[in-house]
Amino acid sequence: MPAESILLRFMEGEGTADLEAYLRAGGYAAARHALTALTPEEVIDIVDQSGLRGKGGAGFPTARKWRFIPKGAPLKYVVVNGDEAEPCTFKDHMLLERAPHLLLEGIIIAAYAVGAHKAYVYVRREGYLARERLRQAVAAAYARGFLGRKIFGTGMDLEVVVHSGAGAYIAGEETALLESLEGRRAMPRQRPPFPAVFGLYGKPTVVNNVETLSHLPAVIRLGAEAYRALGPPALFSVSGHVRHPGVYELPLGIPMRQVIAAAGGLRPGRRFKAAFPGGSSSALLTAEHLDVPMDYEPLRAAGSMLGSASLIVMDDTTCIVRVAARAVAFYKEESCGKCTPCREGTYWLSQIFDRILAGGGRIEDLELLAHISRGMSNGACFCLLGESVPPGLEASLRHFRHEYEYHIRTGRCDVEETLAAAVASGA
Amino acid sequence: MTERSDVTLTIDGRPVTVPRGTTVWQAARQAGIDIPIFCYHDRMPPLGACRQCLVRVEKNPRWQTSCTLLAEEGMVVHASTPEVRAAQERNLEFLLINHPLDCPICDKGGECPLQDQTFAYGPGRSRFVETKRDFAKPVSLGPILVLDRERCILCWRCVRFGEIIAGDEALKGFERGFATEINTPFTAPVRSKFIGNTISICPVGALTSRTYRFRARPWDTTPVPSVCNHCGLGCALWLDVRDRTVVRVRAREVPDLNDIWLCDLGQFGFSWLHARDRLTRPLVRRDGRLQEASWEEALVLVAERLRAARRDGPGRVAVLGGTRLTNEDNFLLRRFFREVVGTPHIDHRIDARPGSASLEVAWGLRTPLPAISQSDLLLLVGCDITEEYPIAWLRMKQAIDRGAALYSLHSRSLEIRRFARGTLVPTPGAEGVVLSQAAAAVSGAAPDGAVLREVGVDPAVVEALAAELRAARAPMVFLGKSALEGLAGRAVLRAAQYLQAAGCTVQVMRGKGNAIGAALMGVLPAPGGWSAPEIIRQAGSGALQVLYVLGGDPATEVADGRAWEAARARTPFLVVHDLFLTETARQADVVLPALAFAEKDGTVCNLEGRVQRITAAVRGPGEARSDAAVLAALAARLGVPWAYEGWEDVFAAAAAAVPGLAVGAIITPPPLSGDWPEDYAPPPPSADLVLISGEVLFDLGSMTSRSPAIAELAGPPTVWVHPTDAAARGLTDGALAQLSAGDASLVLRARVTTEVPAGRVFVPRGFDSLPLHRLLSWDRPMPTVSLRAVGGMAAAAAGAEAAP
Repeated sequence: MPAESILLRFMEGEGTADLEAYLRAGGYAAARHALTALTPEEVIDIVDQSGLRGKGGAGFPTARKWRFIPKGAPLKYVVVNGDEAEPCTFKDHMLLERAPHLLLEGIIIAAYAVGAHKAYVYVRREGYLARERLRQAVAAAYARGFLGRKIFGTGMDLEVVVHSGAGAYIAGEETALLESLEGRRAMPRQRPPFPAVFGLYGKPTVVNNVETLSHLPAVIRLGAEAYRALGPPALFSVSGHVRHPGVYELPLGIPMRQVIAAAGGLRPGRRFKAAFPGGSSSALLTAEHLDVPMDYEPLRAAGSMLGSASLIVMDDTTCIVRVAARAVAFYKEESCGKCTPCREGTYWLSQIFDRILAGGGRIEDLELLAHISRGMSNGACFCLLGESVPPGLEASLRHFRHEYEYHIRTGRCDVEETLAAAVASGA
Repeated sequence: MTERSDVTLTIDGRPVTVPRGTTVWQAARQAGIDIPIFCYHDRMPPLGACRQCLVRVEKNPRWQTSCTLLAEEGMVVHASTPEVRAAQERNLEFLLINHPLDCPICDKGGECPLQDQTFAYGPGRSRFVETKRDFAKPVSLGPILVLDRERCILCWRCVRFGEIIAGDEALKGFERGFATEINTPFTAPVRSKFIGNTISICPVGALTSRTYRFRARPWDTTPVPSVCNHCGLGCALWLDVRDRTVVRVRAREVPDLNDIWLCDLGQFGFSWLHARDRLTRPLVRRDGRLQEASWEEALVLVAERLRAARRDGPGRVAVLGGTRLTNEDNFLLRRFFREVVGTPHIDHRIDARPGSASLEVAWGLRTPLPAISQSDLLLLVGCDITEEYPIAWLRMKQAIDRGAALYSLHSRSLEIRRFARGTLVPTPGAEGVVLSQAAAAVSGAAPDGAVLREVGVDPAVVEALAAELRAARAPMVFLGKSALEGLAGRAVLRAAQYLQAAGCTVQVMRGKGNAIGAALMGVLPAPGGWSAPEIIRQAGSGALQVLYVLGGDPATEVADGRAWEAARARTPFLVVHDLFLTETARQADVVLPALAFAEKDGTVCNLEGRVQRITAAVRGPGEARSDAAVLAALAARLGVPWAYEGWEDVFAAAAAAVPGLAVGAIITPPPLSGDWPEDYAPPPPSADLVLISGEVLFDLGSMTSRSPAIAELAGPPTVWVHPTDAAARGLTDGALAQLSAGDASLVLRARVTTEVPAGRVFVPRGFDSLPLHRLLSWDRPMPTVSLRAVGGMAAAAAGAEAAP
């Protein structure tokens, strides 16, 4: 844990969903400072220097995104992406449940920076408690004059609307989210034009992730340099075969091995086998990558990505064919149906995996899986949903081809058989 | 030399220069390079969903969809390298894995983009060994549309047609991913007037029509160019003919007219052509009954009666009709009756009220149709555009998408109300008052709030309209039948003329079929002649010896049942030309079987005054003859043999008489010009229900009732009742209701809807079996009526409530 946690301290214990608790912890001071002592341009400069990047998965520099918003536009929106639905990503959920005011304070700062007076928070359908806590926080903030007309007694008006999603993973894609928010079926839009120019209801819109905005109070409070010196920090969702799965605030660049250690390490007696460093959309890494720094560039160099910093750890009890099959099944269920490669490719892949796992695999299926994967790569799909399939699938074929071959040859699982043998010999 | 707004890129090694804003796909097409595509349709913005048009752009590692990618200066595109071909082949393989490949029994076979693209770009074999996605089939989406879900490749064209082109959002995507399917909201029958177009643009055989399903394949049919004869816009058609039968109607692309679209009435309202009860032989009344006769007998009889009437002095014969005739028929009609028979009493405006504003103004558009898309303010006055002239709505939708404001002034709300910036629903008959106030407000006077409120209109909306009219660059006012035929018609014209002086284009949205052509050919009262309602009045007082009706049905079209009954009763001899034994034909002394538009050569004019050719596609039934041939035979019998060899000769003679008449020409009617008094006070508010009536697209007339798809869309005759009025009378949606005025009454189904305001009921016209005209009179076009529930349903409900 870093010397000073900037997010986790608002989430620990009772949390700060209660406005008084948040205020006792110094809440809303940063937003007040930004609105009363800084110009919008100064706020953007500080955020720029802080190195803050989007925490939703793409990692786009936040300040640069804001600067795309046309200055003179009479109507602009801030939209908060709280549709967090990536498998094994749960940091935004925790933030909304335990520190919703952190987000609201971040929204105020962001809205001030880009000149928006209305913000929508799109919260995943399944986040019932998160949504309820956020609604209560919004009501409390309005009551205290932190939202609404002339907030903090300045000339700034800001309205915040909490919107419930409708249960589709694709709604986490920012343009699909905007479609959904406008009342339509969640399907991604063609870009360009980007939301910064043509967003919600066709108006310039900045779409930021919950965690991204929740960093802003600390960025303003600490200043760019002090914030950077903390890593900069990030929330890691650690899950899978570790002793203490959960949300951890750690500096970016920390080696994967240390993240696993922070989560209590592996279960006793087990060996590390593989991990998704950035959710199921990222390529699998193996033991040789345990010392790769968990940061954007090093992970890209390792052929994977940081994504939403969701580390899924798998030990030697894991059948990689099943993992790949499960990931493919997820994307098959969640494909929106708009574009051909994603809609048909995920379905086809899933059918092949089902057949292999049912003992009907053919050795030519390995080439077929790779072929389908190629047809879904490098811009073949409309959006990143379909494009999320190939990295994990191809990495599994590359690193664990022997497991596939065993399934196909024997109709059985070598991991299962090895475990069974170990249990038998140990008994 | 390239313009500054041009860019030059290289596609497959070929330099291509295109205007900035052109997509790579369009640029490739311009250069003659074919890139396969499914979801893109050039009447809609690109979507990028099917991913079939992937190309490689140098210096870009990712695939690009050429349909969404804008051409840039210096861009180097590869559209047919082996690598690109492989990607296109992979994508086609994706599209095909779940496609049933049931081409041998698919209607689309032979004109199927998926088939063609697979032939050109597809893999020769499939590696798909799994089970194909399967759906129960087919799904019926209403009286017309049929969906075979497993054939659908989810290109989204049909969904986007409803969103972008028609605005009716008739079809939507449901479920997700591989389970996605197209359906209607709530799986109710399609609610659209344009759904046939989704069949035309479907790139596979997923959407088909009940009328054409399993009827023919494209190589079985011969397409014959023609023009739709329904609403008056004269959309260009292909009649697909197989075995002397029209099996399908398709849009014929004319960008300035209907472009590539048709309404469902135009596309599916043609089966009547081959109805079994088409008239095939002349009928002559003998012993009080109409009996089959030879042409010789019938013509001798008619000629004799006309000769006798002529002998008794001029003006003893009158003629009604002309809107279903060609220009050539109409030209001969005028010549025959004016020159040979010698009567000035000729008129095609059968459905006009005596003294109505319709009779005082030339009908038609003052601009070509595309100008509507360029307008920035559209004001509909008593004009139910989607019911009356649906294809014109598509132009209005384009204008609205470009930012135009739509206002409607109508005695009920229109189905397109969600596109309107302002909706004015005044007391029936008060359109003139409201329009006058708006016109006055345009010139700066404040609208009289008290007057407007009295007729049920919010003065703020009138003020907003006036402000927009002042600011508009190209405003248009559309005067519809219900405004012109209403009691306020002249006040409407007066106000419209004010607006015209202030820069508005005034469009007179009146006339079906070839009404404009009839007017151009002079099927109008000559000096001293009577208009159609005057003819009927005069006939009712015994002034006529012969009434001659061609392709019209005054017995149902005249909005005064008693006036027509008297006319028939007091006129000794009634001759009717028609396709069917209409209500008027039943009452005739001689009925002559006529040819329909698809059986004739010649020309017709649409609402723009556009002169278009029609071509005989099929032979008429039995002994049916064209109106022109009948008139020529009669002329010969009356001693004036004509020497016309064919339609071309007649057209040439007409062209000599009508300035500007040429195939392809547009003869625009003059602007409004008249001295119309403001002689009208708004009707007093009524405590009773007021009956208003009007046109609907799908009705049950002589043609539509014989087109099963249209008849099903029309459903039974209905009376539209506001929920409050329905509840007060114990009426539920679909229940039988009795509508009475004076001693006349009708029984019809209640349609409970907020599209009529409380205190009014609306009954659609054009349901020939429903004698609506018995409730109407020319003096009281909007009578007060009583409405009550009838039949067992209401009684049963009451009984059920009483049960323990």
